[in-house]
Amino acid sequence: MSNQTMNAQAAKRLRQVRWYQEPRWQRLGGLLALALLLAMVTGVQGTNSDPFYAIKENLTGVGLWVYVGIALLIWVAREFFSEPVKQAGATAKQAKGTLVDGPLGQIKQLLAGQPRLRWALMAAVAALAVWGPMGLDRYWQTVLVDQVMIFVLVAIGLNVVIGWAGMLDLGFIAFFAIGAYSAAYWTGALPVAPPIELNNFAVIPLAVITCLVAGLLLGAPTLRLRGDYLAIVTLGFHEIVYLTAKNLNDVTGGTSGVKVDRWEIGGYEFRIVDQMPFYWVLLAFAAITVFLFVRLEHSKVGRAWTAVREDEIAAASTGVDTVRYKLMAFAIGASTSGLAGVAYASKVGYINSENFVILLSILVLAYVIFGGMGSLPGVIFGAAFLVWLPEFLRDYVDPKDRHMYLGALLVIMMIYRPQGVIPSKRRQRELKMAETGSAEAEAEATGTGGKHS
Amino acid sequence: MSLNELWGYLVLGVVLGCLYAVIAIGYTLVYGVLQLLNFAHSEVFMFGGFGGVLALTAWTPVVNPSGMQSVLYVAFGMAAGAALGAAVAYGLEKVAYRPLRKHNAPRLVFLITAIGASFFLYNLAGKLFDRSSVAMPQMYSNETVFTLFDTDIKTTHLLIVFSAVAMMVGLDYVVNRTKLGSGIRAVAQDPEVASLMGVNIDKVVSRTFVIGGLLGGAAGFLFGVNSKVVYTMGFLPGITAFAAAVLGGIGNVRGAMLGGLLLGVVETMTVFFWGDDWRYVAGFAVLVLVLMFRPTGLLGERLGRTA
Amino acid sequence: MLNKRFMKIAAPLAVGALVLTGCGNDSGSADGTYKIAFQGPLSGENVQLGVNMENGIKLAIDEANASGDYEFKLEYFAADDMGLPDKATSAAQAALSEEVLAVVGPAFSGPADTAAEYYADEGVPAVSSSATRADLTTKGYGSFLRAVPNDSAQGAGMAKYLASEGAKSVVVVDDKTDYGVGLADVAIAELKKAGVKAQRQSTPQKTPDYSAAAKRVANTKADAMIYAGYYEDAGPFAKKLDEAGFDGIKMSGDGTNDAQFIKLAGGSADGWKLTCPCTDPNEEDATKAFAEKYEKEFKRAPGTYSAESYDVTKMIISEMAELDEINSDTLLKALKKTKYKGLTKEFSFDDKGEFRNQTVYMYEVNGKKIEYEGSIDDLTKG
Repeated sequence: MSNQTMNAQAAKRLRQVRWYQEPRWQRLGGLLALALLLAMVTGVQGTNSDPFYAIKENLTGVGLWVYVGIALLIWVAREFFSEPVKQAGATAKQAKGTLVDGPLGQIKQLLAGQPRLRWALMAAVAALAVWGPMGLDRYWQTVLVDQVMIFVLVAIGLNVVIGWAGMLDLGFIAFFAIGAYSAAYWTGALPVAPPIELNNFAVIPLAVITCLVAGLLLGAPTLRLRGDYLAIVTLGFHEIVYLTAKNLNDVTGGTSGVKVDRWEIGGYEFRIVDQMPFYWVLLAFAAITVFLFVRLEHSKVGRAWTAVREDEIAAASTGVDTVRYKLMAFAIGASTSGLAGVAYASKVGYINSENFVILLSILVLAYVIFGGMGSLPGVIFGAAFLVWLPEFLRDYVDPKDRHMYLGALLVIMMIYRPQGVIPSKRRQRELKMAETGSAEAEAEATGTGGKHS
Repeated sequence: MSLNELWGYLVLGVVLGCLYAVIAIGYTLVYGVLQLLNFAHSEVFMFGGFGGVLALTAWTPVVNPSGMQSVLYVAFGMAAGAALGAAVAYGLEKVAYRPLRKHNAPRLVFLITAIGASFFLYNLAGKLFDRSSVAMPQMYSNETVFTLFDTDIKTTHLLIVFSAVAMMVGLDYVVNRTKLGSGIRAVAQDPEVASLMGVNIDKVVSRTFVIGGLLGGAAGFLFGVNSKVVYTMGFLPGITAFAAAVLGGIGNVRGAMLGGLLLGVVETMTVFFWGDDWRYVAGFAVLVLVLMFRPTGLLGERLGRTA
Repeated sequence: MLNKRFMKIAAPLAVGALVLTGCGNDSGSADGTYKIAFQGPLSGENVQLGVNMENGIKLAIDEANASGDYEFKLEYFAADDMGLPDKATSAAQAALSEEVLAVVGPAFSGPADTAAEYYADEGVPAVSSSATRADLTTKGYGSFLRAVPNDSAQGAGMAKYLASEGAKSVVVVDDKTDYGVGLADVAIAELKKAGVKAQRQSTPQKTPDYSAAAKRVANTKADAMIYAGYYEDAGPFAKKLDEAGFDGIKMSGDGTNDAQFIKLAGGSADGWKLTCPCTDPNEEDATKAFAEKYEKEFKRAPGTYSAESYDVTKMIISEMAELDEINSDTLLKALKKTKYKGLTKEFSFDDKGEFRNQTVYMYEVNGKKIEYEGSIDDLTKG
């Protein structure tokens, strides 16, 4: 057989599309697989005496047929009635297009013209933030203070490192731990006695400085590393801090933990059952941090971070002291996390090493990216929402499955809204450029998947 | 603390290191073609363990099996583990990563997707197979096969080392000698040019995940034989293997093998000198030290160039 | 931007609060329905222990409701603390918001340390069937009752037994959990008191590979080894100890005293000595019936703390039946004076809420079964 006919045959084979390779049937297959997965996800809990039990139950249960039915319906609608659906979609889009930017855009426009109204609205929101939670159930107050506010603070700190300076940090909770243990140490809670015992509030500057130094210590040797290498080193740093806290029982209390005094100022003691005073303190912390960070973002430092993030080499060659600014980002991020650590220890009143597991570091990263990294409102929302969600799901799904739904949400969210819920304007633009394949987008320091950076 | 004792730990370290190496390959392969930290690979590994348990529950080994039967059981369990691992890896790529690739999403987005997928997968496994540990059914009697410098070499040790080495050799052959391998290397070097040269990138990426999944799943099975299977079992070996991949130079297949072996030995040596509670500290300390002097790992980065 | 942000945070919170208060109002005692909560790890790392306990409690509640012996109905409420002290505060608040009558739990010592204050503040009895850290009852949490002997009892029992067996040197391996560390501390102190050489090793829970740790134990050539931890890890550890050729006495506590241990360890569990402050749940008729019912209901065998939690719930219910007016305060008073004979042991508390009965029993794994040997006091007498 000649070479030519072989080539022709090969080309023919390549061009041939078997029936299952047609998009229509592939879509059907995908939908059915999804139905199967959903049946498993929402099905019964397994048992350890028979590993097949749950699979068997789910495959024979009603749920599977419901999902398969829905999948088939969607498929039929998609394949055979797609024209009318598409048209309806188009009209809806057109209708939406006539509004400026949806309702929010309208409000924005309205406000832009009237500064007084804007101030009034902001005051109302601030008032709501201050007094609103008083109306909440005590359980939700506890969630708000113990978890939401604390992690909002941590996320704000991480945002500096990853969102602004563009350094991937997988070990951020290490600083949180250092802050919490500093609080425990200086209030005399740890087995080792401090030189002087301090009030929790007086600990804050000390803890912040400790974390700052720790941030520098981590930052200095790792400045040469970029992207993924930095990620694994920070992860290692976290593991080392965590294991030290766990293993040095005589110093840190290890897994048995230590009791930390609650906040007290000028004779006023914060009572555990009153959540609001804690809330106000944390709100004040958050407000101050946000205010400072907003100023910082638009200062020379903020612009330098942006430059380092976008293209470190270019930034260095135009005279930005990259080492200094990168260290600064580490230190500032770390100290915010340390502040959160102090607040946490002083609120919960008890810490042990298991509060600072590696999973938390990963979760905090997810909060930041989910909300929209680089954007303060986004980060705050991301942390608040993702901390709140599992607590909320508690009542609706088996609590054991909450993290499964959280994981699924993360995946879906990243596929459909990779820029985060409330993205920063710059990042939104970068993503758009990446999608359209603009060369400029590749300048982004984190690089792009599927491509070399 | 005699030399003999040290040797005993070294043997255990090599056994553990072989397992790490096989998992690390999965990280490195994916990183090579996608520049993606596939955090969910640890769950692929975990599913491999469950694949073995499922298979050997469906076909329960007899009590006191003969030699031939033992080999059959092990092969069957490992094949099932590898198959389930590959299936999970394939699905993961198709559902979670491919849409992102189409959008040309930044790497951080991939990372969060991987984290989300990891959460989803291990909790799903917990739901389906229960959250308590299961033992891998006994397939052979774990006896001393021979004694090497006063250290008993058990059946399990031999099983792990032989299967791991076979997998690594096979993989090295696939990557360096086959058409698929050159496709993988081409995509790793430059996806755009590769696609211009007629490489079907989707197919190569998909198959890379499947290969990684096969290895990860088989390693999961071996881990299960070595200790137990539980839905959270992926996390720690996953992180260690990831560190191993970085240590060897991420994207570099031989680097991952070297890194895995090295971390396995470092960990058991740490247990010998300081105790089990410090093993990860030592592992990561070594990693940080190496990266400080060789910022791209021991053998350097590229899959295309060096492997 | 500010308005958008706060709306988005506040809205879900407000909705959540509404949902919760909505649920909260229909409870209460008007219609003779009371809620019993369980606080423990129902998600996260240690979920399995939580599930064991939850099932035991559910079984007790269902039985009481089905029996028709009581004038009231009971409802179960799950307060998930993930086994973490910081999540325990909100879990406790969740239970309190539901106006539960009593709480079984908190399951772990760390969470107990933070949550007990909340329960004490509202006077809701919190009866833990598994928080064994010795100092919990010394902190003056008014409504905390411990329905399990604390670590001191078991550690002392282990030491006493090993000393009487003539062990000269003992390795104590803890699993780095709250439970394991506490137990190991006591065991080592007691061993030293008895003049036995004791050294400690730590092998964190969930270690992927136990070979090296087991080798380290074997290399000490000690006469005995105590593993202070749970069966999930004791299983693979036992396997590896066998592999490493350790031939001393192998011993562990109630965390390992579980049929699942034998399954996980394969043949290597044979000969392990297991202490427990409980009588065997498979030994007597009543306990056998419990195990059968449990298995039927939840398609699994009862695990660590299942029977204990069942007992505690039954005890609460039986005290409720005696009361003229049922509320948390009267119940707490009654519980403090109770003398209740359950499946696993007899329950009574001293004035600090500490468990009175401190007898520890010895078991031995024999083939596929854990066999009862007798109380340690009896065993060491002769």
